Amino acid sequence: MGEDKKEKRYKTGLLRSLWPYNFNAERYSYTLHRITGVILALYLIAHVFEIYHFALGPVAWEQTIALLGSLGIWEKIGLWIIAGSALYHGANGLRLILNEVFGMLLGKPVLPEYPYTPTSLSRNQKIAIYVILAIVIALWIWAGLYLLEGLGII
Amino acid sequence: MKVRIRRYDGQKEWWQDYEVDVKSSDTVLDVLNKIREKQDHTLAFRLSCQMGSCGSCGMVINGLPALACQTRISELKTDSIRIEPLYNYKVIKDLVVDLNEFVNKHRSVKPWIIRKNPEELEEAPIEFKVTPEQNLTFVQFDYCIMCGICLAACPTVAIDPLFLGPQALGQAYRYIADPRDEGFEERIDILDDSHGVWRCHFAGACSYVCPKGVDPAKAIQFLKKEILKYRLLHKKKAATKPAELVEKAPPPNAPKPPPFDFKFEGGV
Repeated sequence: MGEDKKEKRYKTGLLRSLWPYNFNAERYSYTLHRITGVILALYLIAHVFEIYHFALGPVAWEQTIALLGSLGIWEKIGLWIIAGSALYHGANGLRLILNEVFGMLLGKPVLPEYPYTPTSLSRNQKIAIYVILAIVIALWIWAGLYLLEGLGII
Repeated sequence: MKVRIRRYDGQKEWWQDYEVDVKSSDTVLDVLNKIREKQDHTLAFRLSCQMGSCGSCGMVINGLPALACQTRISELKTDSIRIEPLYNYKVIKDLVVDLNEFVNKHRSVKPWIIRKNPEELEEAPIEFKVTPEQNLTFVQFDYCIMCGICLAACPTVAIDPLFLGPQALGQAYRYIADPRDEGFEERIDILDDSHGVWRCHFAGACSYVCPKGVDPAKAIQFLKKEILKYRLLHKKKAATKPAELVEKAPPPNAPKPPPFDFKFEGGV
């Protein structure tokens, strides 16, 4: 905030926007949604690049498969992270569509009364968040076991 | 109690520690007043009503944006307090932030009742009939005191300073939901913009920190629904039935008071 940086805002920027500490469950959910979204976007680019080699002919495709195969367990770990991201981003995205498009889980406008508990962050919203988290974790564990099975570990 | 305050004098910024004797009934604003009166008169912060009505004393207390006058020391349950200016704002001095952009955003959504026939607002013989049920659809969002705390909590404002923010969008919905208002089409281009309503991803932090229970996150989601209805189905806002225009009741037949005499009679 020096003389030459008068326009600087206090504690702002990308990292601040992703830092949910002290805040509500919805803000943690927001952070996770953003991070999983970035992972999926990067995966999509990599996936398109991978499929592109299929169009180059069988030799190029075999080489790509061999390259991915040489990653060993790291390929499976990467796929597991992508599976988790897709599960969370998809499930939480459905909750957000219910909120934003249909106005559900928000409650009705009410007369504010102390201690001013906002209905949009109330019980229904929390139940939705924790149910999503439970389903995602269960499916993510199952995906992990499936990938380990593919490796012949279990 | 140890109080740690983020200072800024226009040139440099630093943390300054104070040791203050506090009572359990003290608020954070009381502590700041004690510091300014007894220890350091250069400490700058805003205050006015000291009862949670004016919204002047918004600041970040132990990492959470709040009104200093409504935050009791006993509720913090910590041995020390860390006080900072509101996040995402430009700082003028110490805990005083620049609210110009915030007020301009509020003004940009036209936070007043718009009628297609402006004479209806000015013509004396007509008034609007708003039922208690209709009033309940927008009165929650009318409680906003413009403290600016919601923008300090909003993660989108942190990455897009041009985002209208929860306060302005909440107030836009307050007027759109008002049965007397006919300005939805006038506001929609401002709200349905790249820095408008779709930048909100419902983190809910604004509603979590709002000191008056306004719940701007809820208003923004309702606003999205109304905009989608308008854009996709060409349906105008139908949150409530429009207010009826009724003839103003005639004044009661009370005797007219005598004209006020400006002449001072008698003497001291």
